[in-house]
Amino acid sequence: MRSLRAWLLRFTNLFRRRANEADFSAELDSHLELHIADNLRAGMSPTEARRQALLRLGGIEPIKELHRERRGLPFFDSFFQDLRFALRMLRKSPGFTAVAVLTLALGIGANTAIFSAVYASLLRPLPFKDPGRLVSIMKRNPPRGWVRNANSAAELLAWRAGARAWEDVATWKQKSCVLTGGNPEELPCEGISGNLFSLLGVPALYGSNTFPASEDKSAAARFTILSHALWKQRFGADETIVGRVIRVNGSDVVVVGVMPAGFPHLYAAPYLDVPDLWVSGPGLTPQNTWNDYYAVGRLRPGSSLQQAQEEMDNASIALEQRIPEVSGWRAQLFPLRVLISGDTRLALLVLFGAATFVLLIACVNVANLLLSRGAARAGEFAVRTALGAAKARLVRQVLVENLLISFSAGGLGILLAVLGARGLAAVAPAYLLRSAPGLGAAVNPGILGFAILMALATTLLFGLVPAIHTASPRLVDAMKQVSRGASHSVHARRLRAVLVVSEIALALVLLAGAGLMTRTLAALVRVNFGFEPGHVLAVRVPLVGVRYSTSKAQSEFWRRLIASVEALPGVECASVSRGLPVGGWAGQSFATAENPHPPAGQVPDANYIVVGPDYFRVLHIPLRRGRAFDAHDTQAAPHVAIVNEELARSQWPGQDPLGKRLHPVEDFPWMTVVGVAANVLTQGPEGGAHPELYVPFEQYPFVIAPHDFVLRAVPGMDPANFARSVEEQVHRIDRDLPVSDVQTLDQAVAAERRDARMVMALLAGFAGLALLLSAVGIYSVLSFSVAQRTREIGMRIALGAQNRDILRLVVGSGLRLALLGISIGVAAALALTRLLSDFLFGVQPADPVTFVAVGATLGACSLLACYVPAHRAARLDPLVALRYE
Amino acid sequence: MSPKLDVWQGTLALMVLKTLQTLGPLHGYGIARRIEQTSGDLLSVNYGTLYPALLKLEQEGSISSDWGVSDNNRKAKYYRLTRAGRKQLEREAQDWEQATAILARFLSARRESA
Repeated sequence: MRSLRAWLLRFTNLFRRRANEADFSAELDSHLELHIADNLRAGMSPTEARRQALLRLGGIEPIKELHRERRGLPFFDSFFQDLRFALRMLRKSPGFTAVAVLTLALGIGANTAIFSAVYASLLRPLPFKDPGRLVSIMKRNPPRGWVRNANSAAELLAWRAGARAWEDVATWKQKSCVLTGGNPEELPCEGISGNLFSLLGVPALYGSNTFPASEDKSAAARFTILSHALWKQRFGADETIVGRVIRVNGSDVVVVGVMPAGFPHLYAAPYLDVPDLWVSGPGLTPQNTWNDYYAVGRLRPGSSLQQAQEEMDNASIALEQRIPEVSGWRAQLFPLRVLISGDTRLALLVLFGAATFVLLIACVNVANLLLSRGAARAGEFAVRTALGAAKARLVRQVLVENLLISFSAGGLGILLAVLGARGLAAVAPAYLLRSAPGLGAAVNPGILGFAILMALATTLLFGLVPAIHTASPRLVDAMKQVSRGASHSVHARRLRAVLVVSEIALALVLLAGAGLMTRTLAALVRVNFGFEPGHVLAVRVPLVGVRYSTSKAQSEFWRRLIASVEALPGVECASVSRGLPVGGWAGQSFATAENPHPPAGQVPDANYIVVGPDYFRVLHIPLRRGRAFDAHDTQAAPHVAIVNEELARSQWPGQDPLGKRLHPVEDFPWMTVVGVAANVLTQGPEGGAHPELYVPFEQYPFVIAPHDFVLRAVPGMDPANFARSVEEQVHRIDRDLPVSDVQTLDQAVAAERRDARMVMALLAGFAGLALLLSAVGIYSVLSFSVAQRTREIGMRIALGAQNRDILRLVVGSGLRLALLGISIGVAAALALTRLLSDFLFGVQPADPVTFVAVGATLGACSLLACYVPAHRAARLDPLVALRYE
Repeated sequence: MSPKLDVWQGTLALMVLKTLQTLGPLHGYGIARRIEQTSGDLLSVNYGTLYPALLKLEQEGSISSDWGVSDNNRKAKYYRLTRAGRKQLEREAQDWEQATAILARFLSARRESA
């Protein structure tokens, strides 16, 4: 306590130096006067009295110094002295300061921006109670190539009952909820088990966060919990909403609670829709084998993932006896964090690496600048060393200067990072934003801390070597001013060369990465998905309400809508389907007439696409054989199907698929294959072809309404123009139907490429920065060396060297460095671009075209950077040059 | 700082506090003279260490200082004991007495017969 008080006082004394000095001088004066007065009284002469008093007191300056040391904090004192001096030095050379600060700020800014994404996505703890014990439950069937599959209710119930490792397991399925009573809206929602939010440990803002456990078995939604956003937008933030009845999917539902604002969807994989509301009644029954269910479990304290896995595998084996359909499926467990950030992890780490390269290049550049500056200040340091300054003291002073540079750069860098993070949020794919809420939001302490750490690290990186170098001048040389000659520190020149070579190598690695991603994006744009997305508009129109409970009513609606839209000028044709040919695949089993009872675990499955008649014409999916559906394929007509080439190949290899029969489940009638369609890449460009089965929606045996309305505009017409008129036509037929997800298929396809686009955009940005910085680096090193060698060059010109010779001399020395850097960079890039291979498409990590192009670009830039100083050197006037100091 | 000096400073602080308790507010020179007189001029106070010691005591809150006027009308900085200083003096005096008593007993112990 007492010493704390003393430290505080000593600290405040740092800022009252002058007053304290005066005070203590006065005290010593008064001491002397009192002593002299005493001595006079003792009978001494005035001169003797004064002499004795002074003698007795001892050296006044040492006493003052002792007092000063006790008064303040000596270390800080000299630190502040260094700081003031550094400020003065930096202010004296504003050009150098600006370049150094800006260069580093770019590096720190890029790093901090990416770090903010890394932090938001990978480091920040999930906002749930004790998130370390939360586990995402999926299932896999490796022999059949399925991983990360959704679960069935039967399995989940068996796993929950059979594994002691679980404290509890909560379940949900994706649904769509149409809210009526007011403006009709279709919203993503989840049918959840009543314990989901209590398992996560997130309380409701109003009302309750649970449903009665008895509702879990039911398939009817009777209760709902609203998201904060929906509560605010649709219900005007009505605090008395709990207990009210609202209309959802045509039935009455009681609102039991409202979740707090910003309650994130981080219990589910980021590719799932974020729900606006949650309803009870997920339909969890032991007989339910639809693979619709996602689940999150909480491990008992002390239980391990492995234990849970073993117990669940045993439960699976037991369940296979009762339900053969689940044969071969086993639980697949992920710590929740891994599920949430799994897909973004690699992308973020690659980008973080790239940003670090930019920072390294920035550091190298500034180190170069400092070395040149150090050479210019050699005289100053020599004088100070000669006057007795310790080397450590000089190093410290230079380091303080550097610290000042990096902290200014850090401050500016944080500003850039805030802008950068916002830019990142703008180019990031939706799943990244979902898995990292808060990305692009304000700076938080973690990010601030990181920026400060970066500033300190950069000081060491760019500052230490030049500081030691600068602070140990060769005394005699420097004093004699021989530094102007060619003899000037060979050591420094070599150091600068090493720095330039390394920054060119770093830049090449970045350029290679950016080049590969650019080629990837180009390949993705060229890829043939099996349909033509151009000129197609897709609109989601779910048919909800009792009115559409029969397929007849549904087909009536679609017939009218299709007819009225096709009547619009500029529309070529229109159709409807359930599911678009982008963004996913929903497998469903089937059996063929040749193999009507496949053994459990070997039942083939296909993506069922429920379509209207003109679907193939709208999407330009080529029919290889047979016919398309037409208006005669109604419920009353014989059941028909169209298969894709992949399904035909896998089921009837070498045979004519036309006329073959298949059906989804044993109880349903056989469908006859009437056509073979070309394969469509529904799982994205890398996904390859999978079996697809097209069924006319009127004949589809399950109560599932198609809801994706598609139209093709005539060439030259932007399909987006029809968004409004489609909505008008829908509402002319039924004003209660919601219309949503209006997008052109071009947009939908582009969305599939967003992660490639993000990685490419950022890598290209970083590579551009790297290119610029390394060109500046070569330029500054050559300029400096030309300035240093002015006399030598003047001599050469005087002795008859031509312009051309001088140009060759300077450009040659620059290009030698560039070529060395490029070769090292190519070697490093060959090793590092392999990390990118997960993002690459249609191009090899060691793509020769990319590497040649990148090397040539860097070489050309280096040449340009060499040319300016070379040109200057070649035009030297030998008379001026020889007198140059 | 060497440990030897620490010990000396410790006793110097105690002497300063005791002097201020006995004589009331006093300036640096006065404190030094008083200590020398009390010791029968056996001690010579090093003024170079006296003033930093005073500063330390003041920073720790044992004494406080103010500019005032001396008997013969000279400006001087006067130090006075604070409440915390009084307590510190009591405590340290007690410690010191105990220490010296122990040491005295120790030194006066006779050689024990074997």
